[in-house]
Amino acid sequence: MLKPDSFRSSRWLAGLLALVCGALGACSSKGPDVVLYCALDQMFAETLVKEFESKTGLVVRAEYDVEAAKTVGLVKRIREERSRPRCDVFWNNELAHTVALANDGLLASYDSPSAANIPAEFRDPQHRWTAFAARARVFIVNTTLADPAQLTSLEDLFDPKWRGKVCMARPLTGTTLTHLTALYAAEGDAKGDEFVQRIEESGVNLVQSNGQVMRLVREGQMAWGLTDTDDFNVALNGGHPVAQVFPDQAPGARGALLIPNSVALLAEAPHPDAARKLIDFILSREVEEKLAFAEGAQIPVRADVKRPPHVKSAADLSLMRVDWARVGADIERRMTQFKERFLQ
Amino acid sequence: MSRPLVALAAAVFVLAGLAPLAAMVPRVESADLAAIFAPRNLELLGRTLLYGASVALIATAAGLPFGFLVSRTDMPFAALLRPLGIAPLLIPPMILAMVWTVLADIRGAPAAYAVSSVSTFPLVALFSARAFERIDARREEAARIAGGWRAALRSDLPLVLPSVACGACFAFVFTVNDFSVADYVSWLGQPKFSVYAAEIFANWRIESRPGLAVATALPLLAVTLAALVPALVLRRRGAMASLSGDFRQPEPFELGPWRWPAFLFCLTLVSIGALIPAARLVWEAGGAARGFEFARVGQAFTLAIERGREDLANSIVYSLCAATACAALALVLGHALERARGGRWLESLVVLPIGAPAVLLSVGVIVLWNHDWSARFYDEGGVVVLLLAGRFAAFAILIVSAATAALDPRLEEAAQLAGAGPFRTLTRIVAPSLRSALLGGWIGVFVLSLRELDATMLTPAANRTAMFRIFNQVHFGRDDFVAAMALLILFLVVLPGALWSLFARRRLELLP
Repeated sequence: MLKPDSFRSSRWLAGLLALVCGALGACSSKGPDVVLYCALDQMFAETLVKEFESKTGLVVRAEYDVEAAKTVGLVKRIREERSRPRCDVFWNNELAHTVALANDGLLASYDSPSAANIPAEFRDPQHRWTAFAARARVFIVNTTLADPAQLTSLEDLFDPKWRGKVCMARPLTGTTLTHLTALYAAEGDAKGDEFVQRIEESGVNLVQSNGQVMRLVREGQMAWGLTDTDDFNVALNGGHPVAQVFPDQAPGARGALLIPNSVALLAEAPHPDAARKLIDFILSREVEEKLAFAEGAQIPVRADVKRPPHVKSAADLSLMRVDWARVGADIERRMTQFKERFLQ
Repeated sequence: MSRPLVALAAAVFVLAGLAPLAAMVPRVESADLAAIFAPRNLELLGRTLLYGASVALIATAAGLPFGFLVSRTDMPFAALLRPLGIAPLLIPPMILAMVWTVLADIRGAPAAYAVSSVSTFPLVALFSARAFERIDARREEAARIAGGWRAALRSDLPLVLPSVACGACFAFVFTVNDFSVADYVSWLGQPKFSVYAAEIFANWRIESRPGLAVATALPLLAVTLAALVPALVLRRRGAMASLSGDFRQPEPFELGPWRWPAFLFCLTLVSIGALIPAARLVWEAGGAARGFEFARVGQAFTLAIERGREDLANSIVYSLCAATACAALALVLGHALERARGGRWLESLVVLPIGAPAVLLSVGVIVLWNHDWSARFYDEGGVVVLLLAGRFAAFAILIVSAATAALDPRLEEAAQLAGAGPFRTLTRIVAPSLRSALLGGWIGVFVLSLRELDATMLTPAANRTAMFRIFNQVHFGRDDFVAAMALLILFLVVLPGALWSLFARRRLELLP
């Protein structure tokens, strides 16, 4: 027979369990029609996701990468969830890690009809990923401290007259890591090593992120720096005295690096049909146009997509030739190399 | 003690806090362990230890006098400055770093030392204040009669030092486990000022060696435990020491002409750590360099509430659930740790989840819960609550065990002699006596959960929280929105403690 105290204890325990289950249940909701992992900045992607939902009636569960994780957070999750994939569509704000996921067999083939007019160099021959709306690696220049016309090439970072006055993000994550990995892939190990050596020797200030590069330059703490076009546009829209310079545009120069968004269908995606619809929407001309007109000012890879006057067309630029398959394969090796060099 | 209840609570704690860490261990290979001893890693570790020890020392130099002045003197506005002194601990150190690198133009290692010291001095201050209050008036009077106030202070010092050392140990632990401050402020430091926690974060991204981050975390975990175990021992000699039944409250020291300089000293510390950063956030919300206007502050708050409403609500719900779960766990486990034989040895196991790098716990949760049978739980908010409870339960448990130590065990014995069972004794006798400790633990977990980002970064449902949104907006220079959201978080963080201070008669137990 239960003693009164243990009877009360059981009731109390049952009550507590019911409370906990209720609280956890309250945190639950109806399952989504499609799960999107999105590394594009939340403030831009959210609007587009809502538009897709209202057009199709499908419920999207969009999960974003925290800025501190620089894409790698979602990539890490996709890999960790390999035994039970829960993501259907991966919208990456760069390409190298998407290629790495494809190399590891984590992506499925899907040749979206929306991608038909995207140039071939932005599409995987096996249709495991498609690239679109790009950022470019540019110099952001504080026009009160430096003349943009004086800057032409990436090598200007090492000019002694700018010593202590220029900055770039540490190449441990994000587009700066991709940029240096692409340099190695394009110009070989010897030139890559020389470039990295010069970064160290020339006193370039290595800061936390591209966002911090933008802040330091717009506030005049640095004369100029290497960052992405979206960061530059934030400073420009904020009314700061800044200009952008696309480096290496002279004939025969290496060209500016374009880092496109990429979208992919996950292998064993739980909701493949809805996922394909979402991919078709993301790759549509309308979305690329909206991204060009948004604050991030993404550069359309399709020449005929409308864009505001301050957004360059990919066709107007001299672009660096990039073997993305190699960049995707190399990126982890380079990350380890740069970590040992710059994290000291 | 009700054994089934203790077993149930222990099982929940193990599941929430220890199992995710255990799930990561099989990933470690011998090559990963060998990497620990690479000269570069050892150099980073050595630098981090020096950094942590120096910060603990500076935090002590600031926190000890602050704790003494607000708790034992006739300094003006001491009652106001005392709760304000906790505020720097509640503000994410990254926000302090962002504000002070702009305002003071300090960079590199000195900036990291300064920001971390400001952020952690309240730990020493809290422990010091409590210890100074627990000195029996008669002992102090005897010393004062023999040699004046200086003699009284000299006799007090050995009594408060264990508590001060305990606070310093906690300051050390907080410092060595954070890399965001060093990472943010070291961009002009030559040589670069990197710390060991950054190496763990970097290794976490190397996919081909999944055990490397775990292996690299081991030395930092060992260092953390090596600091926490003495802290747990020291708190028994200091802040947690039982008060005898005829304890007499000590008299306040009269500062005379030093009253206002002392006030200025405390005000300066509080200003550097909380008031100026908060003012800067208001200024950012109001338009900052574009031209400050109060109307813009209102607009920024409207925007923050409009866009961040759902995220704020999620943050509050998760934090409330985690805090409530931790308070329940703390009542059972905190009491058991203090009363059970060998319980004190288990304290080092309890602190393991707060000593381990957050990202390991986060990946461990994926490994443990991302299965078909647990899919619904993994996808939704329940897993966030479990993760937060696992990470922070130790704070509530230690606060309750400290309060249990000060509780006369004869009360429980008397209840049991009168026929009350262990459960009834716990809920009817022990719990009411530990009310302020339970609430202190609840508030501690609520606050820590509300501002947590690292541990929840990879958890699906934690993707929609206020901290997540703040950090994503920082990137796009939405300074007004970020500032308004940060102020809303600060308001929520301070609210429970402020309400208690305003309406409760008893002082909140906030010390572990």
